[in-house]
Amino acid sequence: MPDEIRDEIPVIELENVEKYFGDLHVLDNINLRVKKGEVVVIIGPSGSGKSTLCRTVNRLETIDSGKIRIAGEEMPAEGKELARIRSEVGMVFQSFNLFAHKTILENVIMAPMSVKKTPKAQAVKEAMELLKRVGVESQASKVPAQLSGGQQQRVAIARALAMHPRAMLFDEPTSALDPEMINEVLDVIREVAEEGMTMLIVTHEMNFARQVADRIIFMDQGRILEESTPEAFFEAPKTERAREFLSKYSVSTSRLPRGAYESVEKHASGVLGMRISATPEA
Amino acid sequence: MNLTTLLEQYGKLYLTALFTTWTLTAISFSAAFVIGILITVMRISPVGPLRAAGEIFVQIFRNISGAALLILLVYALPYLNLLFSYYTCVIIATSLIPAAFCSEYLMSGINTIDAGQIEAARALGMSFFQIIRNIVIPQALRSSVLPLTNLLVSTMLTTALASQVPVNPRELTGLVSHINTHAVGGVLAFFVSAFLYSATAVVIGRIGSLIDRKVRILR
Ligand SMILES: Nc1ncnc2c1ncn2[C@@H]1O[C@H](COP(=O)(O)OP(=O)(O)OP(=O)(O)O)[C@@H](O)[C@H]1O
Ligand SMILES: [Mg+2]
Repeated sequence: MPDEIRDEIPVIELENVEKYFGDLHVLDNINLRVKKGEVVVIIGPSGSGKSTLCRTVNRLETIDSGKIRIAGEEMPAEGKELARIRSEVGMVFQSFNLFAHKTILENVIMAPMSVKKTPKAQAVKEAMELLKRVGVESQASKVPAQLSGGQQQRVAIARALAMHPRAMLFDEPTSALDPEMINEVLDVIREVAEEGMTMLIVTHEMNFARQVADRIIFMDQGRILEESTPEAFFEAPKTERAREFLSKYSVSTSRLPRGAYESVEKHASGVLGMRISATPEA
Repeated sequence: MNLTTLLEQYGKLYLTALFTTWTLTAISFSAAFVIGILITVMRISPVGPLRAAGEIFVQIFRNISGAALLILLVYALPYLNLLFSYYTCVIIATSLIPAAFCSEYLMSGINTIDAGQIEAARALGMSFFQIIRNIVIPQALRSSVLPLTNLLVSTMLTTALASQVPVNPRELTGLVSHINTHAVGGVLAFFVSAFLYSATAVVIGRIGSLIDRKVRILR
């Protein structure tokens, strides 16, 4: 990694963040820096605090102490400034959370128009480009309930990207999806990563994690136990806890696992129709 | 008196009364609708005292009878040096009570909104009012079309309160009292009004379900 990047102000920075749910110490002295363009994947057992950490970054969860900075700016606990900084961090949820009464296009243009005061014509133009990028432009005038889960999640990604965020947060973006739809969403996320987006991703998709992550963070009981490259983490986890956790998954050692490759290829000709070439070297 | 002579003598007055009932209903319901939305926004606001004030409003006006409220407005307000016309008193009474119910219906509409949508909106940087305006109120309204339609009908029936005070022109119920004190209209005079109320209610109900079908949120 070149020096100028290492010295840059991190896009996401958490400093000594502590959070309790009653007696439960759900975030225990969390320190985390995500640099520009870096993809950090958080994994860990259920209940370890991954979602809470992810939601804390844009303060959907309050914290008890510590500091959160986005591009060097400290995030206040509430108010206009908080809303402004939040608008610079896109978030994608497990349950899609599209606005049920709006069409797909309206879902994507709502925040740019109301928060950023983007003129409608421009918002629509950008939204259509994004919808095309995630492969759902033909669904623009439908409402969310008419789309499959995979399509809805791709719209949710487009909706977040429409705000031109500095970083994107993903909290188990494929956990609510039927197996056959998981890859179409992972493909889109991978693509966004390749375009240089700074990302923090919580996932249980180990092969995907290994493939897109620049850095893996392993959490357990509210603490960051390990922080390393995907190769180091998956091949030689440092802690017993991580070894035990990984033993429940079969993680392919190749950069692009076979199963995923077939589906990537399918999408390359179908849904995405661009980008991913026939060679598995991503 | 048979129907023909009744209508010959009072037909014009019935038309005026029907129109007056419609007007009162339209004014009261519009006011109730606007007040109901404002009260609802208060009830879901992050400001404690506003929430409390909204709750108190609803508890009072959901639980008071229209007649009692009208008497209060007509006889008590002058002591506070607030002198409103009878017509205005009727409109106030027939707006505040439906406003409380309107807010109740909107609140149950709001309860059907998935909290995740609100979180997504917050994550996009939308403010409380932007979320209320773009997501909460539109969805609450769309899912309460049928109860609000019923509320419109019951608001219309409540405007019969106007028969208890001297207002000019008379509405449908006031006209029945008038006919029965000046002629022997009997139960027939009442039936004509009842028919006009029911016919209006049927039309309102039809339009309500058409709107409901059009705006209902697919889930
Ligand atoms: N609002 C809340 N109130 C109380 N406890 C909570 C709340 N939200 C989460 N918790 C608890 O905090 C702990 C961490 O939850 P979190 O959702 O962050 O875990 P996670 O790592 O995302 O788990 P999973 O993999 O199952 O999604 C869990 O024990 C959970 O029960
Ligand atoms: Mg979680």
